[in-house]
Amino acid sequence: MVSNVRMDKNDHAAIQAVLSGDKNAYGALVVRHSQSLFRVAYRITGNEADADDVVQEAFLRGYQKLEGFESRSNFGTWIYRIAVRCALDRIGSRKVDESRRVGDENDPEQDQLQVADRSAGPDRLLLSGEIAALQQMAMQSLTPTERTAFVLRHMEDCSAEEIGAALGIVPNAAKQTVFRAVQKLRVRLASLRVKI
Amino acid sequence: MRHLTEEELVGRYYDARGGESEPNAAAALHLDTCPECAEAYAALENDVAEMRFAEPPARNAAYGERVWAQLAGSLTAYENRKWSWLRGSVWRGLGYAAACAVLVACAFIGGRLWERREARIAAGNTHPAQRPAQQPPQRVVVVVLSDHLDRSERLLVELKHTDADSDEMVSPLRDEARSLLAANRICQKNAKQEDDPALATALSHLDHVLAELASQPGGLNKQTITRLQEEMNADGLLFEVRVLRSRIPDQQAAGAARTEKGTI
Repeated sequence: MVSNVRMDKNDHAAIQAVLSGDKNAYGALVVRHSQSLFRVAYRITGNEADADDVVQEAFLRGYQKLEGFESRSNFGTWIYRIAVRCALDRIGSRKVDESRRVGDENDPEQDQLQVADRSAGPDRLLLSGEIAALQQMAMQSLTPTERTAFVLRHMEDCSAEEIGAALGIVPNAAKQTVFRAVQKLRVRLASLRVKI
Repeated sequence: MRHLTEEELVGRYYDARGGESEPNAAAALHLDTCPECAEAYAALENDVAEMRFAEPPARNAAYGERVWAQLAGSLTAYENRKWSWLRGSVWRGLGYAAACAVLVACAFIGGRLWERREARIAAGNTHPAQRPAQQPPQRVVVVVLSDHLDRSERLLVELKHTDADSDEMVSPLRDEARSLLAANRICQKNAKQEDDPALATALSHLDHVLAELASQPGGLNKQTITRLQEEMNADGLLFEVRVLRSRIPDQQAAGAARTEKGTI
């Protein structure tokens, strides 16, 4: 808690310096928060290169909006929300592999067949890799909002209020979005569980 | 007993993991007492526990520095931004001020025009009988002093020679006196304003005679006529009027035709 308070003070001092014309003071904020932004950006986008781009874009947007930052807020939370929005925009605009998506949605047996074909090998590591790939595929079947809400709730341990604030929806809507995501993932992963 | 829905079970699962400000206590209580829901909840826990997603690749301590190095070149220092904003705001402020000034001027001119138009419409629509009583129409009476003195002289001559016993002669005198009375008062007032004491005094005497003739209670009788004739002679009023009337042509010759104006 004490370190958080100190970090808040440091962040606010850096923000004041930036607004007074010291552009380089923003560098301290970037260094301090880029790891956490990369983490959430990667979890939402599922792609390292996209996550790097999201981190840069979030800090750029943050700099441009810094005058509107309220001094009583926490900079970490504020820039984190911007990163979530950037990541959401990124996966929303990203072109998906239509053939793979259509195959996923129209042929639920396909996942099971893929596992059956390749699990015949003795290498468990390979099987683990396949499972992870299928889980990643299941994640791809979610809508960008469902995926982001699930990541924030399941992996980032955000509350419904925090998810709602990040996505611009009310907490109840955030809860329902998380529920829909969990429901879809359970159905998708059910066949995998049976085979394993 | 109502069982928990799948949504409530999911909600309960994340409540148990913590982080929610308002956990569903009723759902937790129900799970303790309902084996079916407890079983469904256990299945959910197993499913969710198996969801192991790839952890983000590690980023070393220099990652933040690298991000900043890539970002720094595209940022403009806030001081410059502030000044450019200030310059923009000055022009913007001047623009707003000019727009406000134009708006105020338009409102003022529009108000004036509207007021005039309303007044014209009101004046056009109002029937003379409906006009306010406090502003009665005023008759402008132009009284020419020389004419007034002429008529007064004729009246005094008639009065001097009238037969007090004859009603036929007395009645026109009274009507003429009433007609002259108002004009005389205008001339008298004007003479006072123009500081002409001789004229004012003569007109004052004339006023007395005209008032007696015009408004004698019970009408003009022989005694009144005789008394007025004696007073007129004693004051030399007829002579005085003739002298005053003789002055008028001189003044007219001097180019100052005297016209008395007044309201009744």
